[in-house]
Amino acid sequence: RGGSRRALRRARCGPGRCGRWCGGPGRPRSCRVKQALWLTKTKLMKGLPPKVLSIMDDLANQLENQDERVRNAIFHACFWATTEVVPRRKTYCPILVEDLLHLCRTMTSKFPSLSKRMLGRNYSLTATWERESVLLQVHGLNGMLLNAMNPIQPVASKDEILATENYTLETFYPISPTIDLQDVNVYEEKNDTGFREDYPYPHPHTLYFMESNNLRSYRFRPEPLQAKMLMFAFGNALAKARILYGDEPRVLEQPIVVQSIGTDGRVFQFMVFQLNTTELASNDGVKNLVWIDSDQLMYEYAQRIPSIRKKVVTVPAGIHGYDPDTFKKFLALYLHGAV
Amino acid sequence: MVSSLTRAFGAMLLGSGSRLSQVALQPKDPCLGGQLLSACHGFSTCAVLSTANPLWKYRIKYTIRPIGMKKTGGRDHTGRIKVHGIGGGHKQRYRMIDFKRLRPEDGAEPGPFVEKVINVQYDPCRSADIALVAGGNRKRWIIATENMQPGDLIKNSTHIGRMAVSAKEGDAYPLGALPVGTLISCLESHPGKGAQYIRAAGTCGVLLRKVNGTAIVQLPSKRHMQVLETCIATVGRVSNVDHNKRVIGKAGRSRWLGRRPHTGLWHRKGGSAGRKIKPLPPMKCYVNLPTAAAARD
Repeated sequence: RGGSRRALRRARCGPGRCGRWCGGPGRPRSCRVKQALWLTKTKLMKGLPPKVLSIMDDLANQLENQDERVRNAIFHACFWATTEVVPRRKTYCPILVEDLLHLCRTMTSKFPSLSKRMLGRNYSLTATWERESVLLQVHGLNGMLLNAMNPIQPVASKDEILATENYTLETFYPISPTIDLQDVNVYEEKNDTGFREDYPYPHPHTLYFMESNNLRSYRFRPEPLQAKMLMFAFGNALAKARILYGDEPRVLEQPIVVQSIGTDGRVFQFMVFQLNTTELASNDGVKNLVWIDSDQLMYEYAQRIPSIRKKVVTVPAGIHGYDPDTFKKFLALYLHGAV
Repeated sequence: MVSSLTRAFGAMLLGSGSRLSQVALQPKDPCLGGQLLSACHGFSTCAVLSTANPLWKYRIKYTIRPIGMKKTGGRDHTGRIKVHGIGGGHKQRYRMIDFKRLRPEDGAEPGPFVEKVINVQYDPCRSADIALVAGGNRKRWIIATENMQPGDLIKNSTHIGRMAVSAKEGDAYPLGALPVGTLISCLESHPGKGAQYIRAAGTCGVLLRKVNGTAIVQLPSKRHMQVLETCIATVGRVSNVDHNKRVIGKAGRSRWLGRRPHTGLWHRKGGSAGRKIKPLPPMKCYVNLPTAAAARD
């Protein structure tokens, strides 16, 4: 192939193609999100942004009998969809997400703009950027992507974006921030959203990641999962920004917002990412923003058969520790941009 | 062509004969076929294959991943017993330890560098604990010293200054840079060879004196050793100090460690039994001192 060969460090991801994004034994887990923040030049904010929280708290944005229907979705995923005594994560995790998305779609009658959405699977993303003279790339298959006809409006105001100029990114001396990334040779520095240019739903809205492997060692734990979600939300936003604003690095007039939700069928991670700038080479200037709401339990555990000890039922069958707020957040992120 | 002929011919023979010819013609694993074809003649047992093929030993690229090992049972590559009393035990995986503390990263400029301890953990292949350290774009395993904790910064340097350094535990320096009386571990006999001395759990050596370009170290056996002062050593005692205080407790636990029982047969005690006070062996010298013949020239 004709292109020039450049060494590049790739944040590796995607099921099937390779393993973890940054693996290895004994890596402190807190470093992983920090590393992703450095790679994407992003400032972390705890909790969800106020705009999403206001959607979540509004009673008009909720379903009728919401809790009961969500419980039914969990029951369907964990108990009704299978005859096995112990439900497999490989089955119940995707079913749960599909059911919850189905519940979200029933809001279409209330908000007609929700019909202008499309769910894409198995699309391949490529985004390349330079960070302090290191060429980086996010590449591969990732979760489902909900596309929309209209972009999400920026979450942070202009003042908040300008305030990030004073923020200094964390580094990890003596460890390099590019540790554990895969070294590859690429022949083409390309950016690809994975969709054609004339695709009628061009704007990425929300990414859904399902960590549904039955084996714990093959599943991303919450911290690496958040890092992976951040990298892919960033990659989607960057590929979109390159199409809209060209390859020249610049501060975007209209920041691009991509959300992502990750789950292992029980614990949910919510994330809202806002791409403010494509000037990623230097550490100065405006930073990107991410809001992470981590480790939200949908339910504590699901008991299919009641546990009986000395003829007394100690733990009844059913779902224990159901948290209604988690689905409210799930729904709020879905409605974001349409309300 | 040959194989099809053999198969057709073998069909006319008895069943066992045809099977034999096929086994001899088709080595099971194609990637190992070239190397091991000589070992695979006819019927080869699993034991010979596993001892003749310790692939985990011949790895070129460094990795921090644990590598699976095959049990040798004390046999060498020819299949003969070389070490008695080995067999069974819990499955173990090998972690590649970097015994050259001053191995600079690929593409990095030479000079002192700092690394961070990420994790200190047990290693089944040795009595000491091992530490995972990271610096730059590289991670590696080293032997942990006594008080090494995750998050510590450790330094590696080749510089020998006029003054002795005040070294922290876990740092690696040439012997010439250290003050006399320092407790050291992971010592190498020749500069750049990699540590071979003082690596067992809880051991330490003492830097006794420095004589014109060489250093004299007391080993854990109290024997003295003279090496060049550019040899690298780690400051401090090796980790897992209580290793000698553990109680095996029963014969079965010894089997878990892969040691087979002694024979119960009575033997008359020979000359090696009993108390005997012997003088220490002379100082081990790894320095090529100028000989009298060379000095005359």
